[in-house]
Amino acid sequence: MSALRFAGTTNAEVFTPNERHCLEAIVSRIIPADTNGPGAVEVGCALYIESALRDAYRSQKSAYSAGLAALDSRAIERTGKLFAALDINEQDRILSEFELNTRVGEYQDSAAFFELVRRHTLEGMFGDPLYGGNANFAGWDLIGYPGLRMYVTPELQRMDVAIHRLRLSAKQLMHGSR
Amino acid sequence: MAPVNLPRTDVVLIGLGAAGGLAVLPLARAGLKIVGLEAGGWFRSADHRPDEIRNNIRHWPHAVQKANQEIPTARNGRDGPPLPRPDYHPMMNGVGGTSLHYWGQSWRLMQWDFKVRSETIRRYGVSAIPPGCTVEDWPLSYEELEPYYDKVEYAIGVSGKAGNVQGNISRTGNVFESPRQREYPMPPLRAAGFADHMAEAASRLGWHPYSPPAAINSVPYDKRSACFYHGFCGSGGCPVNAKNSTAVSTIPQAIATGNLKIVPYAHVIAIESDAYGRVTGARYLSDKREYFQPASVVLLAGYTYENTRLLLLSKSKAYPRGLSNNHGQVGLHYMSHTRTGVVGLFSFDLNRWYGTPAQGTALDDWADDNFDHSEVEFIGGGNLLVPMEAKPIEAANMSTFGKAPRWGSSWKAFVRENAARWAPVWAQISTFPFEDRFLDLDPAVKDSLGYPVCRLTVGLKETEERAMRFMQEKAERWLREAGAIATNQLPLFPIGLSTHAYGGTRMGENPERNVVNGWGFSHEAPNLGILGASTMGTSGARNPTLTVQALAWRTADYLIRQWKFIAE
Repeated sequence: MSALRFAGTTNAEVFTPNERHCLEAIVSRIIPADTNGPGAVEVGCALYIESALRDAYRSQKSAYSAGLAALDSRAIERTGKLFAALDINEQDRILSEFELNTRVGEYQDSAAFFELVRRHTLEGMFGDPLYGGNANFAGWDLIGYPGLRMYVTPELQRMDVAIHRLRLSAKQLMHGSR
Repeated sequence: MAPVNLPRTDVVLIGLGAAGGLAVLPLARAGLKIVGLEAGGWFRSADHRPDEIRNNIRHWPHAVQKANQEIPTARNGRDGPPLPRPDYHPMMNGVGGTSLHYWGQSWRLMQWDFKVRSETIRRYGVSAIPPGCTVEDWPLSYEELEPYYDKVEYAIGVSGKAGNVQGNISRTGNVFESPRQREYPMPPLRAAGFADHMAEAASRLGWHPYSPPAAINSVPYDKRSACFYHGFCGSGGCPVNAKNSTAVSTIPQAIATGNLKIVPYAHVIAIESDAYGRVTGARYLSDKREYFQPASVVLLAGYTYENTRLLLLSKSKAYPRGLSNNHGQVGLHYMSHTRTGVVGLFSFDLNRWYGTPAQGTALDDWADDNFDHSEVEFIGGGNLLVPMEAKPIEAANMSTFGKAPRWGSSWKAFVRENAARWAPVWAQISTFPFEDRFLDLDPAVKDSLGYPVCRLTVGLKETEERAMRFMQEKAERWLREAGAIATNQLPLFPIGLSTHAYGGTRMGENPERNVVNGWGFSHEAPNLGILGASTMGTSGARNPTLTVQALAWRTADYLIRQWKFIAE
C-alpha cells in the first residue's frame, strides 16, 4: 500500500561539489562536532538533505541552490573566499547575519533559508536513521532519547526511571530484526 | 466521454472518515444498501510505523493524493492580504480518514456549548455577545445528543473516567462534565509519571485535573489490543490497532453486514440534483474514468472544507449558486479553534518520551462558562492539556527559553541537558462564528482538475486574543506550580486552516441562517444529509471528533426512521 521510496534510491546529483561543500560547512556550524559528540556532518545530515531533495523535498531544491549561492557570494564579497573555505568564526558571523536577516541585499530570503537548513539539519540529526542521518543513533544519544520500543511498560513511564537505550530504526522494529 | 452509470443504491456516502465511517454502521445494520466513496485507499496496521519524519514532518506523503491537490487558501479579512499557504493539507485521505492518525481525544461537548447565546444573555446580558458574532443556540440540547455520545463511546471504544454519571459527581473524573448515563466502556489510559506530577500541581492550586478521554484502548476491547504506548501516536497510525479509528472499529462491522460497498480512490467531483431540487447521486472519477452513482439519499461526509467546496461546485438549475445554497448560507459561520500554549523548562528529567498525547492531564476549570466572566470581556474559555509523548526531533527542536542560541556548540550542550526537561501546556479555546469569517471558492487557485480550491476568510477578534492571553496566564501558573524554572509563551494561533474546522454547513432551524436542519438534512435538498464538524455552530473548548460522530449516528438514525419520507 504505502509505496515508500527511501532515501538514496537514485544516484542523481543534486548538488555541485561546491554546493555540497557549502552545505556541509553550514550544517557543521549548526551542529558542530565537539566534546558533546559527533556533529551534523558526521551523522550524515548533509547526506540526509541531499537525498531528501532528490525525493520528498524536490520542490525545495531551488531554494537550496539560491540560498547556497547567496551564502557563497556573501563570503566572497567579504573575504574573497567561498563559504566552505572560511574559518569557523567568519562562517558563524555570516550565518548569524542570515539567521537574523540583518543585511538585506541581493538575497531577500536569508532568514528563511537559514530556517530551512536548520530544520532539515535537525531532521537529519534526530530523525530515524532509515532516512540516512542520525548515524549510529548519535542524535538520539545526544538528547537521551531511549529508543524505539513497540511495547512500553508502565515502569518506563515513571519520572525517576533509568531506561535502557535501544538502538533500532523503525524499519528494524516493524520487521522484528535487530 | 459520458459517465458510466452505475446501478442505483439506497445511500451514497461521500467520505469514509470519522463521520462517514461511523454513520455506515447504523445504516448498514438497518439494512440500507450503502456505497461509500472514499478518496484514499486502505491502510493496514503494518503500514503504521513509528516514523516521526514521515508522520509528523512530512505529513503522510503516502496518503494525501487528493487532499494535497486542494489545499485551501486563506486571507486575513475580505480585503486583507493572502496568508501563507502551507504545502500540505491538515487532513488525509484513506478509509478511516484522519481518524487513522488523530490523537484520539474523545470529549463530549458540555451543556453550555449547545446554548451559548441564550446562556450568555441570561448570565451577562446581550452586550456580552461580541459584535458581529453570529452564534445561535443549537437546534438540539446536550440531553438529546447524550444517547448518541453513549452509543459512539461503546461502538468505537473510549477510555476515560466519568466525572458525572446521572448527576453523581466523581472527583477522579472531570467534575465539570455534563451528566452521562453510565461510565466509559474502558478505564482511563495508564497513569504516567509526568502526567501525575502535573495533576498534583493542579490540585494544589485548587483546580480539578483529570485524565482525558480517548478513543484508544486502555484494555483489550472488541478483540483489539490495548495501547502499547510506543510514543508515536500523535499523527501516527497504530501498529497494533489500539487506536479506534473507524477503519478498525465501525467500518469492518458495517462491511460484515454485506450492506456496505466501499469504493476506494473515488474522487467525487459533483453531487447531482434534479429540477425539483432533490439530489440524485454523486459523480466521481476513478482511475481517470467518470462514474455516476445514483442513490435515493446522498450523505456528504467530507471534511469541513470539502463539504463546503463540493456543495459550491455542484451547481444545477435548481441550485444556481451551488447545492443547498439558495439562501446563501453555504460557507458561512466558519471557525476553527483558536489555541495557544506555554512551554515550561524544568530542572529534572520529565520522561515524556513514551505514551500517547491523550494520556496526559487535562483541566476544565477555565473552559466554557465554568467560571465567572463578569470581569474578563470574552465568553467561553479553554481546556488545558499536558500531553505525554515527546518524539526526538520535536524534543530537540525545543525553545531555548532565552538561555542559549539556536544553533552551534552551546545550543548542542543546551539540548543535551534539556531536551527531556521541557513540556507544553496546550490551551484549546472555544471559538464562535462571526459574519466576516467564511469559506468560499478561490477565484484564482485551482486543483489539478481545474476546480477552484476552498478559500478561508479569517481574522482574529479582540475577544479571542483576550481569551488566549487569559489561558496563557493559567498555563503559566500551572507550570510554575509544578516546578518549571522558566516558561515561554507559544504564539497565539488564530482561526485558520485547521484539523478542528467548523461551520460552512451550519445546523439550525432557521433556513435563512443555516444549511441543515436539526437532524443534519439540508433545508433545501430534502434527501441530502451532511455529516461532520461543518454542521457545528460552536466549537466547545475540546476536540470535535466524538461530537461529530454522535451527530453522524443521530443523522443516520433519523434517516432510518424517516426513510420513506426522505428517500421516496
